[in-house]
Order: sequence, then C-alpha cells, then structure tokens
Amino acid sequence: MSHTPPTSPQPTIIEKVFDFVDERVGLKLLAAKMLNEPVPGGSRWAYVFGSVLLFIFIMQAVTGVLLMFYYVPTADHAYASTQYILHDVDYGWFLLSYHFWGSTAMVVCVFAHMSQVFLWGAYKKPRELIWLVGLALFGIVMGFGFTGYLLPWDQRAYWATTVGVEIMDKTPLVGDFMARFLKGGATPGQMTLSRFFVIHVMVLPAALMGLAGLHLFLFRSAGPAGPFRGTPEELKVKTDYFFPRQIWKDIVGMAVVFACICALAFWEPVVLLEEATPDPGDYHPEPEWYFLFLFQLLRLKMFSGEFGQFLGAMAVPGAFMALLAALPFIDRDPERNIFKRPIALIGWVVVMAAILIFTVSAIINREFLD
Amino acid sequence: MSNERESMSPTQIGLGILWPAFWTGLAFKLAFVLLFLALGMVHFETRIGLAFLMLLASPVTVFALPTITLGLESHLGEGAGIALLFLLAIPIDIWSLGVVGRTFFLERLRREPPEGLGLTLWWKCALVGAIFLPILWIVVSATTQGAMSVVHSIFEMDFLKGIPVAERITIELVLWGSAATAVLLLLLVIGVWLVGRVIRGTAESAPQALENYQGLITRWDLMRVPADQGLMLTGLTGGAVVLALLFWSSLPVFTPHPHECCKKPEVKAAPVFKPLETLNKDEKMLAQLAAQVELLEKQQAEAEMEKEKGKGKGKAGKAAVKAPAETAPAPPAAVKP
Repeated sequence: MSHTPPTSPQPTIIEKVFDFVDERVGLKLLAAKMLNEPVPGGSRWAYVFGSVLLFIFIMQAVTGVLLMFYYVPTADHAYASTQYILHDVDYGWFLLSYHFWGSTAMVVCVFAHMSQVFLWGAYKKPRELIWLVGLALFGIVMGFGFTGYLLPWDQRAYWATTVGVEIMDKTPLVGDFMARFLKGGATPGQMTLSRFFVIHVMVLPAALMGLAGLHLFLFRSAGPAGPFRGTPEELKVKTDYFFPRQIWKDIVGMAVVFACICALAFWEPVVLLEEATPDPGDYHPEPEWYFLFLFQLLRLKMFSGEFGQFLGAMAVPGAFMALLAALPFIDRDPERNIFKRPIALIGWVVVMAAILIFTVSAIINREFLD
Repeated sequence: MSNERESMSPTQIGLGILWPAFWTGLAFKLAFVLLFLALGMVHFETRIGLAFLMLLASPVTVFALPTITLGLESHLGEGAGIALLFLLAIPIDIWSLGVVGRTFFLERLRREPPEGLGLTLWWKCALVGAIFLPILWIVVSATTQGAMSVVHSIFEMDFLKGIPVAERITIELVLWGSAATAVLLLLLVIGVWLVGRVIRGTAESAPQALENYQGLITRWDLMRVPADQGLMLTGLTGGAVVLALLFWSSLPVFTPHPHECCKKPEVKAAPVFKPLETLNKDEKMLAQLAAQVELLEKQQAEAEMEKEKGKGKGKAGKAAVKAPAETAPAPPAAVKP
C-alpha cells in the first residue's frame, strides 16, 4: 500500500500577484499592522468620525476632479461653465450638489471628531501632537470651504468672498497683505478667482494629504485612547482588534454619511444666483453657513467700529484657537472622564450653544433684511 | 456591580435600548430613503430634519407619525414612498431592537434574553410612541408659539425698543428657545422613562444569567458573529450591489423638479447692472431719437415748403397738401414701452 504525500493546492493568479508584491514591500506585515491595532475597550460608534472624514475627503477629490473636466476658472467663463455643469452635463447637477453638500458634511464631521476627542480627553499626554495636527487640519477644512465657495462666480459666491476677505483684512500686521494677496487687486476679479482656484485644487489638497498622513502616523504611534470609563478588567476583556468590528462600524458610518449627502443633494440641489458683479443690488451678502455665527457676532453693537470689528473678527476667534492649541499643555490632569471635568464640559456646552444661537440668529436676521 | 444593575433607572434602560437601536437600523433605512428619493417617490417639505428623524426613529414613530399627520394636520411631505418606508422600517426595527435588546439584557442587566425579544420590544415602543409623541408634539408646539409671542410682546415695550436688531434677535431667540428646549428635553426624558419602564417589566420576568462576566462577554461577543459569515457577506454585498444599480438607473440625468407640495421659495438676486452695456444701450437710443427728431424736422420743413408752393399755385393745389402733424411717423421701437 503506497501513500502519496498530500499536495498543497496550486496558488491562484491573485495569490501569486499578492506574494510577488509582498516579497518586495512586505504587504502582509503592513496589512497585519494596519488591521491588528488593538482598540482598548472594544470598537465604538464614537470612533468612526476620523475614518468618515477620510472617506468624505476622497469623495470630494473624486467629484472635484470630475467637475474640473468641465469647469473653466476664468472670470468670463466660470459662471457659464458652472451653469453648463448644472444644466447640460449628464448627472452634472448631482456631482456638483454632492460636492457642495460634501463640504458641509466635512465641516460637520470635523466638529464632531474634535468634540469627541475633547470630551474623551484624548488630547492629553501622550497625544498632544495628534491634537495640534488635528487643529491644523481643521483650519485646512475651513480653508477648503472658503476658497471653494467663490468658484461658481455667482452673486452669493462673490459677496461671501468679499465679506470673508474684508474680515481677514482686519488682522493686524499681516491682514492687509493677506487680503491683497488673495484678491490680487482692488476688487475681486480674475486674479482672485485664479488664486482661489489654485489654493482650492492644489495647495490645500497637498497640505491636507501631508497633514492627514502625519495625523495617522502619530495616532498609530500613540495608540487609541480608549473609553474614559470602565474598570481595567472590563477594558481588558472588551479590547478588540481594529479588524473586523471597528472597520465594520467605520463602513456603516461612511455609508450613512454618503446616503445623507446624496439625500441632501436631492432635497436641495445647487442653484446659482445671477452672475457675479461688483454691484450687490438687493442681495444681502453673507458667508457660508459655518461662518454665519461669526458674521452675526460682528453685527452686535459691541463689535461695531474699527476696533470692535477687529475684536470680533480676529481677536476673539484667534484667542479661542490659541486656547485650543494650548489646551493639552494647560490641562495636565490625567483624568479623562468628562463628567469629572466640569469646566471642560461646561465650556464645550457654552461654545456649542453660542455657535448654534448665533447661527440661528443670523438666519432670522436674514428674514428681517429680506 | 450588582447594585448598579438593579439601580438602573428606567431612563437609563430606555436610552440604552433606543439609542443603539436607532443607529443599528439607520444604515438600512437610509439606503431605502435614498432609493425612493432617486425614484421620485418621496418629497419632503421644508422640515426635512424633522421628517428624517421621524422616519429613522421609527420604533417609536411608526404609529405616531400618521396620528400627527392626519390628526394634527402637520404635513411633512408627499409621495407613496413615505408610507412604504414606514412599512419597510418595521422588520428593520424588529431586527435591530432584537440585536440591541439581547446584548443589553446579557451585558447590562445580566438576564437571559427571552424568545422574540425584538418583536416584544418593538410593539411596546410603538405603542408608547403612538400615545406619547402626539402629546409631545402639541405641548412643544404650543409652548414654542406661546413663548415666542410673550417674548415678542415684551420687546414691543417702549423702553426696550431702543435695543439694536441683532441684539434683540439673539436675546429673543435665547429666551423663547430656552423655554421650548427645556420643555422638549423634559418631555423626551419622560418619554424615554416610559419606554424604560415598559422594558424593565419585560426584563423582570426574564431569568438571571448564571455565567461570570468573562463568560457573558464571550457569549455576547459570539452573538454578534453570524452563523454563516460567508452567506451574510455575500447577502450584504449582493444587496448593496442591487441597491447601487437601482440607484444609478433611477437617478435623474438633470435636476429633478420639486413636487407641487414642496416647492421652495426662489432666491433671486437683483438684476445685474452692467455699466458699459447700459451706457452703450443708452447711447444707441439717444442716437435713434436724434435721428427721429431730425427726420421730423426735415418732414416739417418739406411740408412748409410745399405749403409755400401751394400758396403760389392757388386754391387748386390746397387739397393735395396735408398738415405735417397728421403725417407724423410711428414712434421708434426703442422708445416703445
């Protein structure tokens, strides 16, 4: 009786290609490192915002590239080419509306992600650098919104940018230079459009990719902070790897955000106003909704006059951002439970309530003006 | 820990079940919402946020929404898709409440989850919602309206009329918004407490789970792993592919027109003022008018000349000459209204 040795099945083409790449770049090790990251206390829905932000950025890049196939960044043709995208290009209305609502989703998710990190006390030692890079990323996301808003070149875009640049102009020392640099002339025109376009499609994406990579690297180096509550025994038995449960939650989060953006694109597709002109007519200029609270703040009597405008437009927001940057170095208490950090909790509630109240006030104020 | 479990308030229990159940069913419901929007079967009115919440929180709104829509004449939108979405939400909610309920019973309450827990929790939540949410709707609406009119009348007083518009808007908003939010939060807590009481009733009749914490966590963990992972993955992927294909095939090529019920007010900027074009147009019109005047003067001069000639020729030629006013040309197109 003869025994034939068991033969291993022949590897498939895909396995061969995978092995070929693995031999050269260590793919298996990389995948293992990426997927086997321990998540202290197990996977949670609260951790999905970072991955969702990455997904939104990729989708913005994809829709942005498709829009660039048709968009012409000149003062003579920007408006007409945007109208062409909206009315003549197949599914153009959906692409542009998705891109528009995607920017809003990005701002909302950045706020949610920063709130989660703040409330979880995940900015504390040894994660200070992750927090600082995150703040820079927040600035870039706001920059994307600001520069992208001008590109359709309609009255809304033109005047929102004019208001924004005027606010920037109030910065001491560098304000005048920055405003002149962005406008490229006395009034917004071709130079402004060119500069905003280049910043929107080249400078900011490059900066975001670099900083997002650094953010991820720092996050992987320090590891996830985990929940702020629970006994060590509970945390230990619930600790899980990044794959599959956290990845599954991330995918569900991405699907939910994708569906919400699509639904908003259906409900409120982008509609342009008249073509941009230096005469506002009856149109009341105002910035994009996420700057509305600041815009309304500047309408208050206490922020009137040259000094008041500087105080409201630059000093207060600047001081707030500086405070956020210094937060990990000021708050050195290792306690992460938000319910045992009353100042942090009250501070967060006050800031969120103030943003909400001033944003809604700006909307009511709009009705007054109309 | 045992004390902590026994002292769990109904509000904690209600929130512990409803919040994760809401998120568990959300992705599936949103996929259908999107598909129906693409098919043009759903048209939401301006309160889209509210409509969405109603749809997505369907374990408690499934019977409450028809009551609010029909009984209180509050219109959220149009289309057969809304009713269909609620029908589709029922099995999704039963499944999500079952998954969440079993986890909650084992991990937090240390009780054996009874058979058909999802269905039991669903009908109890739906019943509480059907009674409680319309009451909440009426009370919050009345409070908001009342607070707004009271605050508005306060600011109509003479000594407060000097407050600038921006400040006045913000103070008014804070005042009536605080009253409305406080009432809404209070009623929401009462609603969640009611749901929690109902769930606690179900939990009290369930037997105690006997394993230690490690054993319970392992069981709870394994419960979330499907029996046939390959089948589940294939099913989910297949479903996603079908939904994606349906979506792309039904997506309108050009901007869909809003439904009659849900037309939004059109935002329009003032007509564009282009100085150079206006100047050119005016110059052209002036030139045209000058030409008209010149023509009139020429005609008048000719008529005068004819008259002079006629006088010379005698009475016989009188009838042939017409007065210049009667022969005036029609006004040029440029000056027509």
